[in-house]
Amino acid sequence: MAAAKNNRAIIAVNRFGLGATGAELSDAQLNPEQWLLQQLVSPVFDKTLGNTESAFRVIADIKKFKELRRKAEKKGPDVGVSIIKPYRRALLSDSLSLSIKTDIPFAMRILDFFSNHFSVSASNQPLTILAPILEREAIAPNLFGQFSDLLIAVEQHPAMLLYLNNEKSVGANSQRGKKARGLNENLAREILELHTLGVDGGYKLEDIRQLAMAISGWSITGANEVGRAGFKFRNAAHEPGTRSILGKSYPLAGVAQGQAVMRDLARHAKTAHFISRKLAQHFIADEPPEEVVSAMIDTWLKTDGNIKAVVTTMVKQPQSWNDQAQKFKTPREFVVSTYRAFDNPKMINQKLMNIALRGLNLMGQSPFDAGSPAGYSYLNRAWTGSDALMKRIDWVNLLSNNISENPQSIVKRTFSSQLSSLTVKSLAGAESRVQGLSLFFLSPEFQRR
Amino acid sequence: MNYKTDKKIYRRDLLKVAAGSFVAWHTPAALSAVNSTGNIKSRKSKLVWVILRGAMDSLHAILPLSDPDLMVHRQNLVTSVKDSAFDLGRGFALHPSYVELNRLYQQKQLIPIVAVGSGANTRSHFHAQDFLESGLPRVNAESGWLNRAVEAYKGDSIAVAHSLPVGLRGRQLAKTWYPNALRPAKDDIYERLQILYKDDDLLSTQLREGLKSRQLLADMGEVKNKYSFPALAASCAAMLAESDGPDCAMLEMSGWDTHQNQIGRLDSQFRQLDNGIAMLRENLGEEWRNTVVVVTTEFGRTVAENGTKGTDHGTASAMFIAGGAVAGGSVRGRWPGLAASQLYEGRDLMPTSDTRQWIRAILSQHWNLNSAQLDYVFPSIKTMDAQLIRRPSKSDIAV
Repeated sequence: MAAAKNNRAIIAVNRFGLGATGAELSDAQLNPEQWLLQQLVSPVFDKTLGNTESAFRVIADIKKFKELRRKAEKKGPDVGVSIIKPYRRALLSDSLSLSIKTDIPFAMRILDFFSNHFSVSASNQPLTILAPILEREAIAPNLFGQFSDLLIAVEQHPAMLLYLNNEKSVGANSQRGKKARGLNENLAREILELHTLGVDGGYKLEDIRQLAMAISGWSITGANEVGRAGFKFRNAAHEPGTRSILGKSYPLAGVAQGQAVMRDLARHAKTAHFISRKLAQHFIADEPPEEVVSAMIDTWLKTDGNIKAVVTTMVKQPQSWNDQAQKFKTPREFVVSTYRAFDNPKMINQKLMNIALRGLNLMGQSPFDAGSPAGYSYLNRAWTGSDALMKRIDWVNLLSNNISENPQSIVKRTFSSQLSSLTVKSLAGAESRVQGLSLFFLSPEFQRR
Repeated sequence: MNYKTDKKIYRRDLLKVAAGSFVAWHTPAALSAVNSTGNIKSRKSKLVWVILRGAMDSLHAILPLSDPDLMVHRQNLVTSVKDSAFDLGRGFALHPSYVELNRLYQQKQLIPIVAVGSGANTRSHFHAQDFLESGLPRVNAESGWLNRAVEAYKGDSIAVAHSLPVGLRGRQLAKTWYPNALRPAKDDIYERLQILYKDDDLLSTQLREGLKSRQLLADMGEVKNKYSFPALAASCAAMLAESDGPDCAMLEMSGWDTHQNQIGRLDSQFRQLDNGIAMLRENLGEEWRNTVVVVTTEFGRTVAENGTKGTDHGTASAMFIAGGAVAGGSVRGRWPGLAASQLYEGRDLMPTSDTRQWIRAILSQHWNLNSAQLDYVFPSIKTMDAQLIRRPSKSDIAV
C-alpha cells in the first residue's frame, strides 16, 4: 500500500484525536505530544439532560401508568415509548455532539474507550435511558484518576447492576436468601473476564462464585427513595462471611468487602496487562509494538493503575508514532471526524445530527447498544468487511448530499498537504462538489488513522 | 458457458461413471471413489451453518423428559412446556415453538443431537465462540473451519453479517452481505472509488466484493423486517439458490444468553429460529433436497434454574442437523444423565460428543472430503461414525 507518510501533527489529531477541526492541525503542529497531554481532563456533561434521579422517576411513572391502564383494561399505545424515546435520543445526540465539538478530542477518545470497555446495552426499557447515563455519571468523572475508582463507580452504577442482573442477586445464607431467589453470577463473571483480568486472567469458576457472593446485596434504590436514587447496598441480601478470591481472603463485612476485591483487581498484573494492551490496540495497532505495551504495564503497576499516567506513557513511546496509519476508523470515529471536518461544526443542526445517528445504526455501531457486555470490537477486521464498506459509501453519499462544504478547504484544514497524489488527483477530477466530498471522506487516508 | 448446458454435461458424465456399477454407487465408499478419481464433484451440495450466539439452553429446546432428575433441577422451566412439547422418542421432546423442526423431524429431515460440547474449555461466550468458529485446537481468529472446508471443497461462501465472522475467515475470500437501509449511491462513485483504491489492497478487494453481492440481490425486491432472523435466512436461501450461488453460507442469530426470565424469551427465540429454518427450506426450493443446515451454539447452560428464572453459563448443549439431504428422524448422541454425580463439575450437562466430530461426518458424506481434508478442517478430531446424510436416490442423479 502506498499511503502517504504522516507527519506528527496529522498523527496526533487522527490516531489519538477525532480528526482535525478548525485550527486544530496548526495548533498541534508546534508540539504534537504536548498538544495531546494537555487534554487529559475529564469531559464535562450537562447533568440536566439526564441523570439517575430523573431516569428512575420516569421509569417509576411509566410503571404506575401501565398499572393504571391494566386495571382499567384499556388498550392503546404504550405511553412509555413516547417518553423514553426522546429522553434517550437527547442523550445520544448530546454525547455525539460533544465529541464533534470538543476541544479535548484525545480525552473523548479515552472516554469512548472506557465507555465501550464497560459496555451496557439497551436490553430493556429502563436500560434504554440508563445505559447512556453510565458514561456521564460514572465514567467521565473518574476518567483520569485511579482505575480502581472508575471500576467501583461503574460496578455500583444502576445501569451496570441492572444490565448484568446483580440488583436481585441474593446470597443463599443472607437474611433474605432463606426465602427466595438466589445468587446471579453474571456481573461477577464479566468483572473478571471483561472489566479487569481478561479471559486469560487465570481465575477459576470458584473465584467467580466468591466474587458474586462478595457483591451480593449490591443493588439499587426503590421507587420511593426520592432524592437519593442510585446504588444501594442491601445488607439483608449480602452473603455473610469471609470470601476467598484469587488466593486472598477478604474478611471485611458489608459493602467494603466487594470494594476491597475491586481495588485488588484494579492493580492486579493481569488487569494491567489486559487493559494496557487493549488501549494500545485501540489507539496504535491491532498488534501493538511490545515496547509500548510493556511500558504502559510498568506504569500501571508503579502507579497502582493511574489512567492518566498510563495513557501519558503510551503517548511518550516513540513506537506509538509510526508514520504508517495502522488503524481503520470505527464507524463512530468515522462519523465524528467527518463532522469535525466541516467549516463550522458548532452549527450542526438537528437534521445533520439525525443523519449522524442513522449512520451509526447503519454501519453497526449504535451508541450504547453493542448488545454484548464485551462492547464493540476495537480491531480493524470488525469494520472492514465488504458490506461495511458499502454501507459507509451509502452513508457518505447521503451526508454529502446534505451539506454545502467546499472539499478543497476541508482538505486544507484537515490534512494540509499530506494526501497521496492519487487522492489529490481523484478529488480534482470529481464531477461535482458532492462527489468530491464523498471521495475525500472515502479516501484511504481519511478512513485510516 | 451456458450454465444449463454445463449442468447437463456433468450429469451425463456422472451417469456414465455410475452406469458401470449402479448398485455400488449407492455406497458411500463408491461416492468417495468417484470423487478421488476425477473432477466429477456435485456442485449442488449446499451447506448452511447457523451459529447461535449467547449459548442456547439445550435442556429447554430438547427436553429429556424421561430423565428422573430433570424436574429436580428445573421444575418451573419444564412445567411450562412439557405438556405441549413434541415427542421425539428415546424419552426426548422438542419445545412446542419448534413447529417447523418437528415437521422436518417427521419427514426424516432433522437430526437433533443431545449432549454435544464445542470442545472449548471455557464458559466465556467470546472465547467459546471463537473456538467453535475457528475449530482449531488453539484458536486462530483468522482461520474459520467453514472457510477451510470450503477451500478444500473448492467452493465459495457468503456470510450474512456486517463484517466477516471468524468462522468464514481464512484463505478463501468470503463475501459478506447484510440488508441495506439506504438508497445505494450513484454508479459513478463506485467507478471513481475503484480508481482511488487501486493502491489499497484491502479497500479495493472489499469494494469489488461488495459490488458483486449487491448485484446479486438487485432484483430480489424488498423483504419485510429485513433484519429479523427469518428474513436474513430467506435472503440467504435466495442467494444460495442462484444458478451460480455460493456453496455455503454462515448465518448468525444472537439473543440466547438467558440469565433471567427465560421462558418467554426462549419461546420467542425458538420461534424465530424455527421460522428461519422454514424460510431456508421455502426459498431454497428445489435446492433444499441437496442442502444440509447445521445449527450449533458455543456451550450449554446450567442444568439448574438460577435465582432470576433463567440459567447461567454451562457446558454441553445440543445441535440440529436439518435439510433435504439429511437422513434424519431420530435423536442422536449418548445421554449422560442429570443425576448430581453425572454432571460436569457438579452443575453442567456432561458432553458425550464434540460438535466437530459430527461436522466432520457431514463434510465427509455431504461434500465427500477425504480424511486428509477433514484433518485440515478439524485437526485431531475423530469423525463420528454415523450415517447423517441420505444416500443418493435415483431421482438425485436423473437428468
